[in-house]
Amino acid sequence: MLPAFVFLVLFKFGAVAYLIPLSMIDWMLGSTTRKFVGLGNYEKMFAAPEFWNALRVTAIYTAAVGTASIVVGLLLALAIRRAGRLQGAYQAAFFLPVAATMSAMAVVWRFIFDANIGVLNAVAVAVGLLPVDWLQTDHLALFAVILVGVWSNMGYAMVLFLAGLTTIPRELHEAAAIDGASAMQQFRAVTWPLLSPVTLFAVVIITLRAVQTFDSVKILTDGGPLGATQVLSRLLYRVGFQYFDAGYAASIAMVFFALLVVVTLTQMRAERLVHYQ
Amino acid sequence: MTVARPPLSVPRFKPSALLRAASIHAFIIAMAFVTLFPFLWMVGTSLKPPKEVFRPGVHLLPTAPTLGNYATAVQRAPLGRFLLNGVIVSGSILVLQLLVIIPAAYAFARMTFPGRDLLFWLVLAALVVPGYVTAVPNFLLLSGWGLINTYPALILPFVGSAFGIFLLRQFFRQIPGEILDAALLDGCGAGRLVWHVLLPLTRPAIAAFAVFSIVTHWNDFFWPLVVIQSSHLYTPPAGIAYFADAEAGANWGVVMAAAVIVVTPLVAVFLVARRQFIESMAHVSIKG
Repeated sequence: MLPAFVFLVLFKFGAVAYLIPLSMIDWMLGSTTRKFVGLGNYEKMFAAPEFWNALRVTAIYTAAVGTASIVVGLLLALAIRRAGRLQGAYQAAFFLPVAATMSAMAVVWRFIFDANIGVLNAVAVAVGLLPVDWLQTDHLALFAVILVGVWSNMGYAMVLFLAGLTTIPRELHEAAAIDGASAMQQFRAVTWPLLSPVTLFAVVIITLRAVQTFDSVKILTDGGPLGATQVLSRLLYRVGFQYFDAGYAASIAMVFFALLVVVTLTQMRAERLVHYQ
Repeated sequence: MTVARPPLSVPRFKPSALLRAASIHAFIIAMAFVTLFPFLWMVGTSLKPPKEVFRPGVHLLPTAPTLGNYATAVQRAPLGRFLLNGVIVSGSILVLQLLVIIPAAYAFARMTFPGRDLLFWLVLAALVVPGYVTAVPNFLLLSGWGLINTYPALILPFVGSAFGIFLLRQFFRQIPGEILDAALLDGCGAGRLVWHVLLPLTRPAIAAFAVFSIVTHWNDFFWPLVVIQSSHLYTPPAGIAYFADAEAGANWGVVMAAAVIVVTPLVAVFLVARRQFIESMAHVSIKG
């Protein structure tokens, strides 16, 4: 009991508590001068366009990846349920991106998106389109990062939905079928309402994963071009470990923490709204 | 739920059903191809000689396959060392986690003590604190202990796994009390009870957590980037990123070969332990 809490206090609770005083000093990592600045770091943050940009990019990225992963994950789960004996193999295929080392796969994606010898442009040219510089054009770079995000999360959503689908009693579908309900009617009347707890859980899990995306952005675009893919985690890394501005980084971490608390509390509120069987 | 009843009729074979089955399979196969494409492209490119990598057009497979890229990759980057670091770090994290988590999970599941519920709420709260939030304070703490750029810096922050306590507590609670009472009556001490009675019963849960932990920490890219400065201490994710930056643009075949070497071990583990992995997540989602 005790050892577990020693580690949790040192690296979790203590660390979060330490953010508060840390965010109120002006301190460059490695320097000996520390100056108390009160809420100065927060003022600096709220006045910085880079902070609002990171918040905006994170919101767009999370909303897009979350929505697309949930929708595709659900479609895959519904389709795979009818795939018979190949179900296991398909499951493995779609889950592979979740298990595979993202940083190595991000290097592969960087090669696929490459402007000069990337296969995506080769395909575009083959079908008569113009090649584009995916990772150096701002809206395309964000699209590319989102695409990789969906690729790496949809298998997770699929697995959650498959688990949820197996909890729905078969008799309900049989009863609906005997009553002459079409596949679509069955989905709307039986499957979807009974899946709502799983859907909520999947939305929360995927949202938390998407908000914390770092590896793919760092490797594909490094936040560029000109901040177009600068997510919050990447901004925190830059401020804390490239500029070594500890106080400012702590205030960004506080905002990050607040965001995650909001997501979690929203989930708890929503828990009461979805009906469990 | 009200659905209009059609007049009862004798079921007939419907061609539309066949069409639907075919379209479902077509959808799955198309999606599977898109999902697996980066893996296929990585392996295909890794087998191409340099002049084929730069050949215009779309060619998944090399016309003259070669393992030359692999030889070059192993020469240019200490890939074996990266993999070894990955094994050392993920393995140490898992062993220490289990030592620390199992007693705590047992205490939460089976014992009553003052403040138990409050402490458990704290564990639940810790579940939502990601590594980015604690990165700067943890870096400062490790730096104060002089541990930056060492293995312990990669290991210590992850030993107290809130997720592990939460997961194992779920399982410990499902074990019938009679079994434990019987063991206690037979004069079994708490320590022996955990190791000889509880652990064999919860092996699936521990295996599920082990897979989850190994995958998480083997794949972690952010933390090594923060606390490690020397490339010989890099774990595979940091190593491959570092190598790709060093070789960028010129030697895509070699970079892809290195990526294959880095990705293979975990993909193999996943394919072997797929059921456990997926079941553990399903369990957490339905019961959590």
